Amino acid sequence: MDRSGAGPAADPLGRSRRRLSVAVVHLPAILAAEAGGQKRFDVGARTVGEALRELPVRNLVLDEAGQLRRLVNVYVDGVDVRGRGLLEVPLRDDSEVRIIGAVAGG
Amino acid sequence: MGVLLPVGTRKGLFLLRSDDDRENWDVEGPLLPGWGVYHAIVDPRDGVLYAASNNPVYGATVHRSSDLGQNWERAEEIGLPEESELKLLAAWHVEPGQDSELWLGADPGLLFRSDDGGVTWTVNRALLEHPTRERWQPGAGGMCTHSIQLLDDAMYVAISAAGSFRSDDGGDSWTPINRNVAAEFMPDPYPEVGQCVHKLLVHPQRPERLWQQNHCGVYRSDDRGDTWERLDGNGLPSGFGFGLALDPADPDVAYVIPEESQERHYTSDGRLGVYRTSDGGASWELAASGLPDRAWAAVLREGFAFDGTGLYFGTQGGSVWASPQGGGEWIEAARDLPPILSVEAAAA
Repeated sequence: MDRSGAGPAADPLGRSRRRLSVAVVHLPAILAAEAGGQKRFDVGARTVGEALRELPVRNLVLDEAGQLRRLVNVYVDGVDVRGRGLLEVPLRDDSEVRIIGAVAGG
Repeated sequence: MGVLLPVGTRKGLFLLRSDDDRENWDVEGPLLPGWGVYHAIVDPRDGVLYAASNNPVYGATVHRSSDLGQNWERAEEIGLPEESELKLLAAWHVEPGQDSELWLGADPGLLFRSDDGGVTWTVNRALLEHPTRERWQPGAGGMCTHSIQLLDDAMYVAISAAGSFRSDDGGDSWTPINRNVAAEFMPDPYPEVGQCVHKLLVHPQRPERLWQQNHCGVYRSDDRGDTWERLDGNGLPSGFGFGLALDPADPDVAYVIPEESQERHYTSDGRLGVYRTSDGGASWELAASGLPDRAWAAVLREGFAFDGTGLYFGTQGGSVWASPQGGGEWIEAARDLPPILSVEAAAA
């Protein structure tokens, strides 16, 4: 058998085939309870949006349209990522993603 | 037979248990801490516990437990069509269906059906696209579908503030049933829709008889909601209130807990008063022995239940009151819970 092509095939469009980063996502207590008690998830994801969609609590963090719920805040490596493009914010290996609910209510 | 009360609160779910005497109560909880449980119910078909749960940050969902709260699963999908511009704002009421299905009432004015035990929910298109929807408006509690009544040949829903609706074709179409029901806050006080019904119940032994506690009075219908008779006065201190309970054995008996007025959401006359009619609403009498006679309490629309033996209600001050003989002496079954949103009763 010819094994000369065992490595990744070249992308015919010349795009880089960047592998998924493995980020760590930390959940607040109420979401951890909804995830069987697990507070931390290692997820393979290129972006914040991909990381959130990997979670078993994705439908509590994202709304029906796939957008981040209005009172959910996301920190990447200690920085509060906000605004229109936050789900596209890139992750690197070992990025630390924290989901934090807005302080609200009584 | 003992009784189990699922008590939904603003800060989680509590389970109250008593044996046959309904005088000594155990309190378990909070379950689902962090969730506002607008309504919880034990499905009499299989004993599964359902909760309509809401969180200001993480949204609305339905939880289910097959072991009375030890382990929970959550709905995977409560779907709205992509073309709909509506968003699910709150889950309000879970109602076990006639066959294997479940129904969910939600804000804004939505009804969902599940055929897989509450894992996925499909919106009722006829109510979503109802031709009168643009005339509906949210009340202070949102535009909540809070009452769902299911019969062999009819379904009823009630929405604040859209009014009451009946379907004679399994939910394919909905007819407004608000004739003679006042909406005194509207320019036309008797519109086709827009009434602020607070709770709607159908009598299980006389299915053509409906009762409603409305923003603007207490009403009874004997013709499936086609026409309504206003019943306040004749002993009731106020027509305003939220909770309503029926005696499943006697269609002429109903209970309400009047509040002072729409501007004053606390119990009438500075006391915690349950009122009972035994003549179809022609007259009402106070049934408050054991309840505090200096109190400014509030009981919400899901906060009143009757299991055929005992009456139960919960207050926003966190007390659960039980009347083991159905309107006789009242005892405080629990106190100092978080603000109570719902009380149901199940055999245990």
